[in-house]
Amino acid sequence: MQLTIRLFEQRFSMRFIKSALLYSVILSLVLLAVMALATSTGSYSVSLHDSFFSLLKQDQWLNDPQASLIIWEFRLPRSLVAALSGALFGLSGALLQNMTRNPLSDPSLVGISQGAALAVVVLTILFPAYIDNYREISAFVGAVLIAVIIQLLRGKGHPLKFILLGIGVAAFISAIISTLLTYGNLQSAMTALSWLAGSTHATGWHDVKTLLIAFIVFICLSVYQARTMSGISLGDEVAIGLGINLKSVMYLQLTISVGAAAIATAVVGPLGFIGLLAPHLARKITRSGPANHLLLTALVGAILVLAADILGKILFAPTQLAAGLVTSLIGAPLFAYLLIRKPS
Amino acid sequence: MNRQQWLSSTGIIVMLVLLILALIWHLSIGTKTISLIDITHSFYAFDEDNFNHLVIQELRLPRAIIAICVGACLAVSGALMQGVTRNPLADPGLLGMLTGGALAVVYWSTFVHAESLVWLPLVAAIGALISAVIVWGIASRAPGGTTPLNLILSGSAFTAFSAALLAIHHLLDEQTFQEMRTWLVGSLLASDINVLYWCIPWIIIGLGGAIALAPSITALSMGEEVATGLGINIRRRKWQLLACVVILTSVAVALAGPLGFIGLVIPHVVRFWVGADYRWIVPYCILLGAIYLLFIDTLARWIIQPQEVATGLITILIGAPLFIWLVKMRVR
Repeated sequence: MQLTIRLFEQRFSMRFIKSALLYSVILSLVLLAVMALATSTGSYSVSLHDSFFSLLKQDQWLNDPQASLIIWEFRLPRSLVAALSGALFGLSGALLQNMTRNPLSDPSLVGISQGAALAVVVLTILFPAYIDNYREISAFVGAVLIAVIIQLLRGKGHPLKFILLGIGVAAFISAIISTLLTYGNLQSAMTALSWLAGSTHATGWHDVKTLLIAFIVFICLSVYQARTMSGISLGDEVAIGLGINLKSVMYLQLTISVGAAAIATAVVGPLGFIGLLAPHLARKITRSGPANHLLLTALVGAILVLAADILGKILFAPTQLAAGLVTSLIGAPLFAYLLIRKPS
Repeated sequence: MNRQQWLSSTGIIVMLVLLILALIWHLSIGTKTISLIDITHSFYAFDEDNFNHLVIQELRLPRAIIAICVGACLAVSGALMQGVTRNPLADPGLLGMLTGGALAVVYWSTFVHAESLVWLPLVAAIGALISAVIVWGIASRAPGGTTPLNLILSGSAFTAFSAALLAIHHLLDEQTFQEMRTWLVGSLLASDINVLYWCIPWIIIGLGGAIALAPSITALSMGEEVATGLGINIRRRKWQLLACVVILTSVAVALAGPLGFIGLVIPHVVRFWVGADYRWIVPYCILLGAIYLLFIDTLARWIIQPQEVATGLITILIGAPLFIWLVKMRVR
């Protein structure tokens, strides 16, 4: 039951398993359902009926005339931001795990999220005037810089060193961030702090646009290079033997995973463990080829962050928990489970 | 007495002198610089009306003593962990024990509302013990057993989890957040000398135990087969050592909050100096840990006068690069 696509004289080819495609469709439907749920939960209760009709812009069917405004101005952009950033974190984690050949890599564990966070916090505290225009760029630069530093420190060592060094770098950066937060201007520090908790509230259509562009670019790039992923996961020697240009593919994967994590971090703040969990859950749901696996991972990541956002809204209502806290609470035990489980 | 022993014994004397110098520096530097003469006078001719004497005796000396105790405890507990697990990257902070202890203290002070400080070290100890058991349990079940990587990964997962719990707690209860904020980054500013009185028996038990057990740690650090061959009951020794580590770590948490990386930095510096014999490493760690934390704390108060940086931030800023260097050198 396979479906093979070959394009450009076979330079681009991928094979889909039908059952995996079916699961992708199911997951997309689940995503839509969770989206609907996300638009109707919150401190101002909007019924599913109302949220459905306001999404269709059929205002005459609404029971509550306020609903349309709330959905279009607040709930929908927030849900879209959650879903898109989840997808980006998922992609980032999947590529990072493939590259380091370690199933436990996660952008927040190896210092990439922290790099982005440091850049944004420095900008918020020291140059508050520029924060709105340069947040994404500075997050990207910070993340890339940290990734390059870790990569340089690692040298030709074992891929595991990438993770250990990342943990050290992450601790170092967290200390700098805390210093800045403690001694910076109180107003900017509070802005930075709410962003650091990994929060999706206070996001608007502007953020949706940024994330959507990034998502389209990165999903295309990662599907394009997906074919080399299974080769790389078998080891350097095998990958070279299969004719993979190891160096350029590595750089491409690193760029995609750093970029995706950086932009998602720039908008919603460092969300932990999504990049770790999404690829594993996707693999648990069904076996599939690498390209389809990436799509599934993006879907699972989106669902996870949306679910975390909903949970954060309802757990301690009316106090809202940042989605980042919820993902850490759920993600850390699952991480421990993944650590314990014997590799299959 | 051979050359190595001679070197090590003179080293102890050098350390003691350094400790006294660091203490004097710590006492004299601050928002108000106080001269050496005033410091010595405040000890043997204390004058209640002299403002400088009051500052020394009431504010700076308690803080210096707490710094000495915390530094010594953390350094020794790090050394014990590294020896027993034969893991150069072991550190009470990296293995989640500091955050675990801090979490226990925060929950205790919110839900029990206890005014009494008697139980504080014990509560921190229970928190640290539970987190040590959890982190160790996860790592030992992972494929490959308790390797440095597995321990650190499970430690960082546990730290992330308890940090999220702490953040949620703060969100729901701003009162405790205000009270606990300085304490939670690891600071000697808010340390209470009264807590120290309740900690001293524990410190004596912990450090005394470490010194008494030092010869068997040397054997254990050469591998379990060697230790068994030398007639050591490994199971019992490991439990005793774990008890020491937990006591020392929790005393430090109760006194100063989570101060990262001291347990990692000091034993490595000491080992560079005196070699692999824990009969020397433990006393050196006590002295060097105390000197180091005194020095860091002075720095913390001095860098951006008249404000002060939280001590825990500086220990991380110095410790993390060393951790990175260790990974680069020691992990193949």
